[in-house]
Amino acid sequence: MSRRPNRRIMGPQSALTDFLATHHISAAQIRADADARRRAAQRNQDEPGEEQSDQVSAPPLAPEVTVAPSPALPTRTRGRAATEVTSREEKRKKEQKVIEKIKASKKFQKRKRDLDDSDDEDDLALAIFQERSAPLPGQMENCAVCGKRFTITPYSRGAPDGGLLCTPCGKELDQKGGAPKKKAKRASGGPVGKRRQMQSTILDGTYRPGAKSLMTLCIETLAKNIDLAEDLGDLPPLVIDKIARKLSKHRLLNPTTLHLFLQPSAEEVYIYDGAKLGATDYIKIFQTVPSLKRLKIRNGIHFKDEVMEYLASRNIDLEQLYLHGSNLLSQDRWKLYLEEKGKSLYSLRVYWTDKHFGDEVLSVLEASCPSLERLKVSHNQQVTGNGIKEIAKLKSLRHLSLDLRNQVRSDVYVSLLSEIGAGLETFSLSRVLDADNTVLDAIHNNCRSLRKLRITESDVMTDEGFVRLFKNWANRSLLFVDLEKCRQLEASHPRENPDNVGFCSNAFRALMAHSGRAIRHLNVHGCRHISESAFEDVFAPGKTYPELFKLEISFCEEVTDFIVGSIFRSCPNLRELNVFGCMKVRDVRVPRGKILVGVPTAVGMVIEGDDD
Amino acid sequence: MADDGPNKYITLVSSDGFEFVVLREAACASPTIAGMLRNQMVEAKTGRCSFAEISSIILEKVAEYLSYRLKYKDKLDVPDLDIPVEYCLEMIVVADFLGLDEQMA
Repeated sequence: MSRRPNRRIMGPQSALTDFLATHHISAAQIRADADARRRAAQRNQDEPGEEQSDQVSAPPLAPEVTVAPSPALPTRTRGRAATEVTSREEKRKKEQKVIEKIKASKKFQKRKRDLDDSDDEDDLALAIFQERSAPLPGQMENCAVCGKRFTITPYSRGAPDGGLLCTPCGKELDQKGGAPKKKAKRASGGPVGKRRQMQSTILDGTYRPGAKSLMTLCIETLAKNIDLAEDLGDLPPLVIDKIARKLSKHRLLNPTTLHLFLQPSAEEVYIYDGAKLGATDYIKIFQTVPSLKRLKIRNGIHFKDEVMEYLASRNIDLEQLYLHGSNLLSQDRWKLYLEEKGKSLYSLRVYWTDKHFGDEVLSVLEASCPSLERLKVSHNQQVTGNGIKEIAKLKSLRHLSLDLRNQVRSDVYVSLLSEIGAGLETFSLSRVLDADNTVLDAIHNNCRSLRKLRITESDVMTDEGFVRLFKNWANRSLLFVDLEKCRQLEASHPRENPDNVGFCSNAFRALMAHSGRAIRHLNVHGCRHISESAFEDVFAPGKTYPELFKLEISFCEEVTDFIVGSIFRSCPNLRELNVFGCMKVRDVRVPRGKILVGVPTAVGMVIEGDDD
Repeated sequence: MADDGPNKYITLVSSDGFEFVVLREAACASPTIAGMLRNQMVEAKTGRCSFAEISSIILEKVAEYLSYRLKYKDKLDVPDLDIPVEYCLEMIVVADFLGLDEQMA
């Protein structure tokens, strides 16, 4: 090629050579270099001890046999045993020098921080030394045990006394238990993990600046090491409950940890994550805690017929029953339980049991649960309007929450309210798409002691209807109002709302005029047609809402920086303000101790105020 | 808090007689201790709070926690204080006794 540099006539050559040539790498050059290296290596082998410190593990190929090896020794050890004593010493000195160098290196210092005592230090230095001097992957090497020639890979194991092992010998060593102990990976505690954790707690609403309480720290430590605990001892129920919550959050509640929370003298058992418990575990609860009064089970998948039968047959009269996700319970067992034990029950909450908890079960309530005060049926596919008519017969009811998948006509709710509305303190209707103004009027006319009101996702109710509800309403101030997504849904003209469908400006003014004094929790998420001027009126300079603690105004499009500032001024006790999707909020100063969540800037979605 | 006592340090005494001197301001994070130091209690006059049922190991950790709490008051990104696993349950009881739980301000 060098003779005819300008012509592109080439003989047959490999694709690799071709490729290398395009990158100006000459295969011939590489070969020549390799030959030169090999020759040099050969020369070095002839003078042992010269280059040894760099390649300790490479067995000398042609050693001089001066110290006679014991004849019993297999041939593979001959080389090492035969190395001259002087050269060995020399080699050791060199090794020592290199190790000293390693000890001074930055990499070593960095790794040393994980260790404490000086023994470990020496070991570490030796380990780094061996790491460095080991042959590179891809080279050939003789196995230190069986002497076979093999190709080194990154996974080749080192022999205990230096050298490398071929794959079969390495596996053998592993099986003998010589596998190097891998350090358990530390959970991410770096700045990123911490920041993420902090954001998460802020969104949970449990965040507060400053150090965690000692109790929290202890409980966290305990939750991490729960497998070591045999008995929680005599802790106050509140603390036990906190531990239970923490454990459930990490999904650590299982049949073995369950017994920690079952104190024979307790009156309540709250299980926040029962997904890992079986039917026998639930039965065990009733066996260990005979004086049980309040039972809460979330994710209680295996709270099945047999468990309910057992509960009905025992001398346990529950006052509160809270079941979440117990879909395997049949309708018959529900009825059986309520008929047997309904007398003492004053709170029944059923979540996500969409299969067998239906109208028929509700029809049993009137006769069997004379003292029922609280009823919650959440995420249910079975209950229909007929079931609600049954609920209307429960005169003792104080708190009613319904989240049904079947759409129920408004007149059903109207008759429900006219029957039992007068006594209700809580009235919560989630996802009632078709409920209209007649429901609001019924609330206005019947309810006198309401404290908590929730009507969500109605796109039929109008501004007028809400105004009629709150104006001159003989009810006390509400404490909790949730009107999430009560707004007009019209894709063709999303901005215009000529009929004032949904919870709009005047309704907002009327609500705050009625309940502003005492309201603690307000959610108008997605009520898009509350105007800027309505917000400005409600949070005008002279007005204060001393009790308001949590305000959710996400997706109210008219909210501006000015309004957010006014809100902080008008609500001295506000803790958390949610403004997701309020795109006009750009740059707000947040007072100390308040949390603004959902600011749509790159600054971060949460701002914890530090302005004084 | 400095005005109701001459000294800005107070002494916590464990059941086995060890003494831990902490800042009064830090110690008052615990409503229980703050209560002992108020009014005309003996502790308020002497500035010594004896805990007959808390051992020195636990009380040392409590003292450490009180200072840690003061140091990170109103700070963001607070590193967690390590609690020795073997004393965890006792610590919970003591934390409950001293009122060092969520309800505190």
